[in-house]
Amino acid sequence: MSAKTAPSNKLAANSAASVVSATNTLPVTTPSPQKVPSIWMFLAADSISFGILFLVFMVERLKQPELFVSSAQSLSTLAGLINTLILISGSWLVALAVNTARQGEDNKTRRLFIAAIGISALFAVTKFFEYGGKFSAGISPTTNDFFSFYFALTGFHLVHYALGMAALIYFASTVNATTLQNTRYRLWLESGALFWHLVDLLWIFIFAMLYLLGGEL
Amino acid sequence: MTNNPTRYYRFCAWCGLLMLPGTIFFWGILGDNIPPYSAALSADEFATEVINNASSIRIGMIGQLVISFMYLVWGVGIAKVMEHVEEDNNILSTLQLWGAGLTLLVFMIPCAMWLAVAFRPEVMEPKTLQILYDFGWFFFDNGFTMTTMGMVAMGVCFLSDKREVPLIPAWVCWLAICVGIGFILEVFMPLFESGVFSRSGTINYWIEFSLYFVYWLCTAIYILKAIPRLEQEHRQAQS
Repeated sequence: MSAKTAPSNKLAANSAASVVSATNTLPVTTPSPQKVPSIWMFLAADSISFGILFLVFMVERLKQPELFVSSAQSLSTLAGLINTLILISGSWLVALAVNTARQGEDNKTRRLFIAAIGISALFAVTKFFEYGGKFSAGISPTTNDFFSFYFALTGFHLVHYALGMAALIYFASTVNATTLQNTRYRLWLESGALFWHLVDLLWIFIFAMLYLLGGEL
Repeated sequence: MTNNPTRYYRFCAWCGLLMLPGTIFFWGILGDNIPPYSAALSADEFATEVINNASSIRIGMIGQLVISFMYLVWGVGIAKVMEHVEEDNNILSTLQLWGAGLTLLVFMIPCAMWLAVAFRPEVMEPKTLQILYDFGWFFFDNGFTMTTMGMVAMGVCFLSDKREVPLIPAWVCWLAICVGIGFILEVFMPLFESGVFSRSGTINYWIEFSLYFVYWLCTAIYILKAIPRLEQEHRQAQS
């Protein structure tokens, strides 16, 4: 243990002992499971961030409707639809995993997480080919305002997707009978699942705004 | 001698709270950065703007260079509060401290560049002035990962607080993580001279910077509010 952390740990240990005796003061170290996962606050803040981006996109779209429609027609709606189905399937498997985790079935939970990771990985594959196709056709973020938003929105979403996948991989590799007994672990597992659902939900908005507004199958 | 583990914490915490209006005044108002000069201006147009506002920009940048040390002091304060939450090791508080220290450079180096731009603009080539100004903004906006690292480390650390009432509320932690990750959109800034992703655009200037200042204010207030809690814990431990 480093010398830097020693005082705080000592303090925490002493405080824990004092909680029992000092009944008239605020208990400071008693762990208490939160009823509502605090990740809802992150999800709200993140949704607002994306909401602002969507609003700016729509404002810019109103200024140049023809450019946005003609540019949207160069996107593959089919690829967008496939990615939507991939993410919805992944979300469904994650929801099942949360359910089995609540019932303490660690093996089933792990298998469902692995299945969700396997299916959701296809999203990155589709995105790789989609981006590759755009760049090889000479389309980049600087092509026009529509493609600035296309790369910004899908890129920002891709960062969220990567974080969500990292969370799924973490839970698939750590879930077992012991960890499922831990209240905080279960809380984090449900928080990770909620985040994954947000990734899914945001994609549905992006799909509708970028691919479907003016796009063709 | 009475042992006081939270000695100087308030000084560090107040540095963060006081630097925020100082930054808005020196960097923003005097430095003519609300909003910054558009990258779409020609070199001659840009030089004319700088020559007209040179005195104000110089005072603003000098002021910002003077107060920037407070960001590091604030970072030390946050790191010390984080140490009271950390259990296994001090990785997160160290990352946060390095994040704050490196963000100090993100303030100081661009401000020195912009000070150089405003030092004697009337005898400089407009294109030279413009490239110095551009360099400052690229460093300022695209050095975001250093700031993000500290913000995320702080958020994750305080979220793992096992106290019944955490030292820092969860919403502040999530705000820090959300705003920190949101800086990723700055990667688009060097690609555009105008529009919403440019350095003076709706997203990469108005929204990103406003959210960062909200994070800064909220964190500064709640770090200050955490200190009496730590003092109370210390008194309980002593008794």
